Amino acid sequence: MNDLLTSQYVAYELAGEKYALKISDVYEIIKMQSITPIHNSKPFLEGVINLRGKIIPVANLHKRFGLGNYTPTKKTRIVVVKSRDEMIGIVVDKVNQVIRFSDIQPPPEMVAGIDGSYFEGVGITDEGVISILKIDKVLHE
Amino acid sequence: MASIFESPELIGAFIGEVEEQLQLLENNVVELEKNGGTAEVVQELFRAAHTLKGSSATMGFEKMKTLTHEMENVLDKIRNGLLEISRPVIDVLFECLDCLNMLKEDFVSDSNNVKTEITPVITKLKEISSENETNNQNSDSDKAENLETGRREQPIFVLDEKQQEQINQALGIGQNVLVCEVEILEDSQMKSVRACLIMNFLNEWGTVINMVPNVMEIPIDSDVGKVAFLVVTQMSADELRQKVQNDLMDIKEVRVFPYFIQNSISQTKDGETGVRDKDNSSGVKTATEEKRVVHTVRIDVDRLERMMDLVGELVIEQIRIAQVANNLYNQYPSDETIDDLIGISNRVSILINELQEGIMKTRMIPVQQLFSRFPRMVRDLSVSLNKEVNLVLEGGETEIDRTIMEEMSDPLIHLIRNAIDHGIENPEIRKKLGKPEQGTLRVTALPEDSNVIITVEDDGAGIDPQEIKQSAIKKRIVTEQEANNMTEQQLINLIFQTGFSTSQKVSDVSGRGVGMDIVKTHIEKLNGIIDVETCAGSGTKFIIKLPIKLPLTLAILKGLLVKISNETYALPMNNVVEIVRKPKNEIESINGQAVAVIRDRAIPLIWLHDYFGIPRGNERKNTLIVLLGIAEKRFGLVVDELIGNQEIVVTNLGSYIGKVEGISGATILGDRSVACILDVVGIAKIVNSRKVSRIDVEYSKQ
Repeated sequence: MNDLLTSQYVAYELAGEKYALKISDVYEIIKMQSITPIHNSKPFLEGVINLRGKIIPVANLHKRFGLGNYTPTKKTRIVVVKSRDEMIGIVVDKVNQVIRFSDIQPPPEMVAGIDGSYFEGVGITDEGVISILKIDKVLHE
Repeated sequence: MASIFESPELIGAFIGEVEEQLQLLENNVVELEKNGGTAEVVQELFRAAHTLKGSSATMGFEKMKTLTHEMENVLDKIRNGLLEISRPVIDVLFECLDCLNMLKEDFVSDSNNVKTEITPVITKLKEISSENETNNQNSDSDKAENLETGRREQPIFVLDEKQQEQINQALGIGQNVLVCEVEILEDSQMKSVRACLIMNFLNEWGTVINMVPNVMEIPIDSDVGKVAFLVVTQMSADELRQKVQNDLMDIKEVRVFPYFIQNSISQTKDGETGVRDKDNSSGVKTATEEKRVVHTVRIDVDRLERMMDLVGELVIEQIRIAQVANNLYNQYPSDETIDDLIGISNRVSILINELQEGIMKTRMIPVQQLFSRFPRMVRDLSVSLNKEVNLVLEGGETEIDRTIMEEMSDPLIHLIRNAIDHGIENPEIRKKLGKPEQGTLRVTALPEDSNVIITVEDDGAGIDPQEIKQSAIKKRIVTEQEANNMTEQQLINLIFQTGFSTSQKVSDVSGRGVGMDIVKTHIEKLNGIIDVETCAGSGTKFIIKLPIKLPLTLAILKGLLVKISNETYALPMNNVVEIVRKPKNEIESINGQAVAVIRDRAIPLIWLHDYFGIPRGNERKNTLIVLLGIAEKRFGLVVDELIGNQEIVVTNLGSYIGKVEGISGATILGDRSVACILDVVGIAKIVNSRKVSRIDVEYSKQ
């Protein structure tokens, strides 16, 4: 838990809910760009993008969690994370800020309709609670 | 001493040389059997045996040395006209080859423990050479002294370039080139000296260009019976004979007749003018051959391979440099340094291209190297199957990447075996059918753009689609219903199915098909295309189209960019057979499978739209079809737009995405967007899926 507390987090939004990723997992945050679809692959794989000459996959967490699809807006971002030695982008509706948590509590059984096992825990801030995703588990399992 | 020669490099070089010389020997023995021995062929055989003797002696390989030494003796006799080329001689020579091959194998596995026995072959060699000697002597006395037999029994002179030139010049100024055969009296003393004296006499009346045997080199006390001189002179044949008979002593018999330049029996009919042309060309050939020998370097294939890899990486990095330069230019359009960078990048790109071409060229070898394995194989096979086969090889000079050639070796051997085994009929049957008793097997190679077309064609029994159909149904490769719906071409293509090859019974019924799936797999691997043309009763032709060069790395390919709906996809250009537009009403449905007739062939069509779950494109009058081919399969991909072709860098999709059916990778296009590369083999697999190839109901109504 100590490690979780000292880390910095990137806070972002998916379908109106607030989530966070450990900053050490985040490689880069880029603006939304055109995504080339890969049909007949993983159901929540949005497609691939060109990240400065590298082709990387982009996952759709809305689909992953059954949140109903996103509509790209000016604020839509692709957060590129490093997961199991591979760079993978995830589409988020909005990136808020980099934060620290004063307290982190273990996740309840369900978080905003999503199985609690996908979360490291729930971080407490002045503005409310933010769920911290286990990104490896979300993307790979 | 021995330890020096145990270094792997030396052994490798030795084995390489042995293999080369063995191949040379084999080709020439086959040639000897087919056309009788021309002076060149015999000379080349002799040279190859001699080279082998030399190098095996250096390596301390006693057995090979002894065997080649004995071969040399026999060949020397043939060369000097002391031994006639006959069936037993050829057979023994073939035996020697097999023995040498075994020796080589032994040497490779353990150079200190060579088990192969050479004594039996050596005994045979010795028998041959002594037997024929006596035969020769007997037949000599029987020889009629007429000109015709003189021609046929002309000894073989081995001429060098200078001597050829002399003959040509003499003929040019109207002098005669004569062969003067002199038999020295048996009781004459010091016959070799007598022979030298004859030579001196002849030199007074003309010029002696060559003689067999060479009287200057034989030991002084050796027993010379007959000497043949090649003389350039103003005198006619009769004049010269008269003179020799009158002016010289100790002579039993003299024969003089005009020299025929090509010594082979089959070519004695040639007119004299024709002969001279031939002579010139062979002179030129030896000259170029000599040059080639001097300028050749043996390189380990692994080193070439490594260089290929490096150049491949260089190309990819260069493309990235160009991309970065472009990005920079977009960001800072007015910066002159970036102009310089783009200039350098372009120049480097040209240099890399040249380097790439150069390395590619070093890997190219003439198809002849592959072809040269066939004559022996065809000979052995036709002898064992009791068939008469005339093998015609064409286009051996066509060059192709060595890896591709190696990969093609098995499939071609398979096709040739099949053609002889199942295609070409027995001589008796052929006679009944009114065909020439000797079947013809034609193997050709022809360059076409960046491809090479290899054909294997026989004039045998052909393939009967109905028989294929019956056995395919019996083998449960297709159901009866499916088979009834198939076109003849589709039925014939069933021979490429895996099931067809495994059962001997099926192949007996169908007469074809053992291992055809192996042929197919190899060709598919090389990204080639195979076609079968067959006509029951009159033969079969396999047409194989292969890339001449291997892709430098799998990372770069020539791609055709197309749009499916509004998504861009790349197709490997190698698999694109052609692009056609078909009016919508020419697309028919056969059992729910959409089909278009392209060049008299019913081609199944695929809408990837359906497979990818995207709407089919806007209705247009014409349907744009990209005809794709892989191995024996052809199918049409319906696309909405053609964008063009370009070199693309293939990137795989990474382990996160993993394998996606129908897609082999992705590439970054000029506008920095990403396009998927379609996998033709994968799409071919889904061709039978009704879902993607049905004519849309509404679509067909219009």
